[in-house]
Amino acid sequence: MSQPKSSSQSKPSSKKDSSKVHKLALKGSSKVVSEFFEYSINTILFQRGVYPAEDFTAVKKYGLTMMITADDQVKTYIKKIMSQLKEWMYGGKISKLVVVITSKETGEHVERWQFDIQIFSKGSKTRSSKKATDKENAAPDATEAPGEKTEEEIQAEIQSIFRQITASVTFLPMLDGNCTFNVLVYADADSEVPLEWGDSDAKEIKNGEKVQLRSFSTSNHRVDTLVSYRLAD
Amino acid sequence: MASPAVLTPVKSRSSVFSTRTAGGRMPLTPSPRTPRTQTPDVPGAQESIHGGNLMSRFTRSISKTSVRDSPKSNIARATNSPRRLELGVSNWTLTGTSNTSSTTKTPSRAKKDGTLRSRPAKTRIAYNAADRFIPNRTASDAIVNAGTGKLDLDQRPKSSSATSEGSAVLANAASAFDLGGRGSEEDATLSLEGLSLEDDDEEGRPQSKHAPDTVAYQSSLASACGVNLNTRILAFKPAPPESSKPIDLRSQYNRPLKPANGISAQNRRRIPSAPERVLDAPGLVDDYYLNLLDWSSGNQVAIGLERSVYIWSAESGSVASLFECPQDTYISSVKWSGDGAYVGVGLGTGEVQIWDVEEGTKLRSMFGHETRVGVMGWNKHILSTGARSGLVFNHDVRVAQHKVAELVSHTGEVCGLEWRADGAQLATGANDNLVSIWDARSLAAPKFTKTNHRAAVKAVAWCPWQSNLLATGGGSNDRQIYFWNTTTGARINHIPTDSQVTSLRWSTHYKEIVSSGGFPDNSLSIWSYPSGVKNQEVPAHESRVLHSCLSPDGQMLATAAADESLKFWKLFEKKAGAPSVAGQGTQSSKASVVKQVTIR
Repeated sequence: MSQPKSSSQSKPSSKKDSSKVHKLALKGSSKVVSEFFEYSINTILFQRGVYPAEDFTAVKKYGLTMMITADDQVKTYIKKIMSQLKEWMYGGKISKLVVVITSKETGEHVERWQFDIQIFSKGSKTRSSKKATDKENAAPDATEAPGEKTEEEIQAEIQSIFRQITASVTFLPMLDGNCTFNVLVYADADSEVPLEWGDSDAKEIKNGEKVQLRSFSTSNHRVDTLVSYRLAD
Repeated sequence: MASPAVLTPVKSRSSVFSTRTAGGRMPLTPSPRTPRTQTPDVPGAQESIHGGNLMSRFTRSISKTSVRDSPKSNIARATNSPRRLELGVSNWTLTGTSNTSSTTKTPSRAKKDGTLRSRPAKTRIAYNAADRFIPNRTASDAIVNAGTGKLDLDQRPKSSSATSEGSAVLANAASAFDLGGRGSEEDATLSLEGLSLEDDDEEGRPQSKHAPDTVAYQSSLASACGVNLNTRILAFKPAPPESSKPIDLRSQYNRPLKPANGISAQNRRRIPSAPERVLDAPGLVDDYYLNLLDWSSGNQVAIGLERSVYIWSAESGSVASLFECPQDTYISSVKWSGDGAYVGVGLGTGEVQIWDVEEGTKLRSMFGHETRVGVMGWNKHILSTGARSGLVFNHDVRVAQHKVAELVSHTGEVCGLEWRADGAQLATGANDNLVSIWDARSLAAPKFTKTNHRAAVKAVAWCPWQSNLLATGGGSNDRQIYFWNTTTGARINHIPTDSQVTSLRWSTHYKEIVSSGGFPDNSLSIWSYPSGVKNQEVPAHESRVLHSCLSPDGQMLATAAADESLKFWKLFEKKAGAPSVAGQGTQSSKASVVKQVTIR
């Protein structure tokens, strides 16, 4: 909405201007992605029984009934994560968000939900030119910014991811219900890291099975979803 | 740091120094902390080298002086006796040794040893913390990263893997605090790199596709080495909250979205903890035994303030003084008739007056009590009055000879009195700690007399949804709420509270009961019935809550307290469409007259 105005305002320095617009759009897009993460974490905690179902309350979101925690402690915990995540998102500092479910008894990581975040960069001339040369060899480039999507389209994409997460309980192994979770982010090395966050290993699942779920993209981000889980012995 | 500290004394033990430590240790042997196993080898060392007067004097001093003296001598020689300390807290041995002025050589060697050993240990920890860190091979990035001081430690591994120009820059920076252990560092880096290369296979590719600032650079680099850069994995460190109970996922998958019942976070009721409205009640007598507040079915609140009765209309918000009683007495109780047209007023003299509120006129005075009338209750045209004498009279307000019954049971001041909604039973509570339950057909003696309370019983409330259920609450010495089956006389439930129970009101919409209290919190407590679980506690007033009453629609509770204020609380807000738990089989006249009230 502000795009036409700003461009008409100062045509000579259109390059500088477009970057400004880009930033604004990035912020909005980051918000969509952050929100998606918040609901994802809640959905995973609910679907995988990290917290009892009674502690969740149903809300309408993305045209679905989403379960979000009503437990004050968990709420605060997620809120803390989200507030930092949003900052990183706005700064374009993170490339992955990972929710790891760990067995309390053995300390083993039993399930790992990974969300890969790609930020589209506008004006990636070099990339497209490079692509032109070996077009045939390159994998279909996902990072190419797609045409503008309407909110409904984005919402529909997100909706189908949540449908998939919900449906994934059918193939994921049964968890014993005595699990806890951790949130990891893959951040740029130069990101500012608050005290509450510390370096960690990837908490990969040994010999895990991986299933790629759907993706969604906004004007500036693309988010891929991948769940890996330990095969039942 | 712990490991070098432990190592050092082992070396120093072989030196001359150890004899000193051994000597110093002697006085401490009585201490239970010292391990017994040490003793055998120590005397040998001590005798072989010192063996002289000094030691013999020491040993003598131990044997002869009291136990209290020996620790003193220990203190005097404390610097010379690190040996003993080493046994208990290994960390301190190093400092003890190095501080000793007599042997400069040993400590310095030990110290050097320590640093040499501790250095790699320290750096190794850093590696572990960031063991997925992928070394940066580019000059530009290295410079960027060098700017962030926080990362210096993580960058250090690069310096030793001399494969890029950037590492040279870093090596210079790192050399500032690089004191030793370079060799071991290199080992660590090598193994590190092996690790990170493995990672790259699975994680490298997707990551190489972002970072907006350096796309061009990155793309070339990524294509060159197929390695992702610049990323660190961060975990949110605080432990997630514990789950309130173990979960069986099998049952979870098959459960309906809304649980059948039970108090879950999802449908827990929100009870506002702030009053809807606050009114001043100047001159409200701070007396537990009086009943000065009542809310009529016509949505008017009557309150007795010293010598006056005020009527506050909840609909219009207007206040009117009904009357003022003579100088020599005061209002001791007010009670609306069931239809909300008349208010009964008890006076300190024992007189009972009936007022037509609409007209503002007194209809009649009824005499009979010799002492103040602290409580009243209407059952259609019968007005029951309880007095300080312990007597309860029933007055038929229609006839001249109004006194129709005398209920004799209490010996203390009657302060709680409540008719059952159907008029079949009457419950009274008094300062003699008794609860009496009367059958309306035979008033010669109470049907049941309950002696469980240990203090005056003012709070008496009949359950709106179960006609033979009565709740009574005791005063400050008792603090209990008891629930009675008034058909059998059995005590069926019990809630201990934290304070004097000054009033009890059942909700008509929820299976809950609210109690008002005094010290320490002056709060309102809402209890689930029959579970007895406290749903919420609302700190209500600055001093004890004396009276409470429910609005005719059952949603609002009015409370009057010794802080001379009258507050209205929306405790039982009715959800749209939710059926009221009351009104099934009971003739709650109040609730049926006015379905919804508003407060202005």
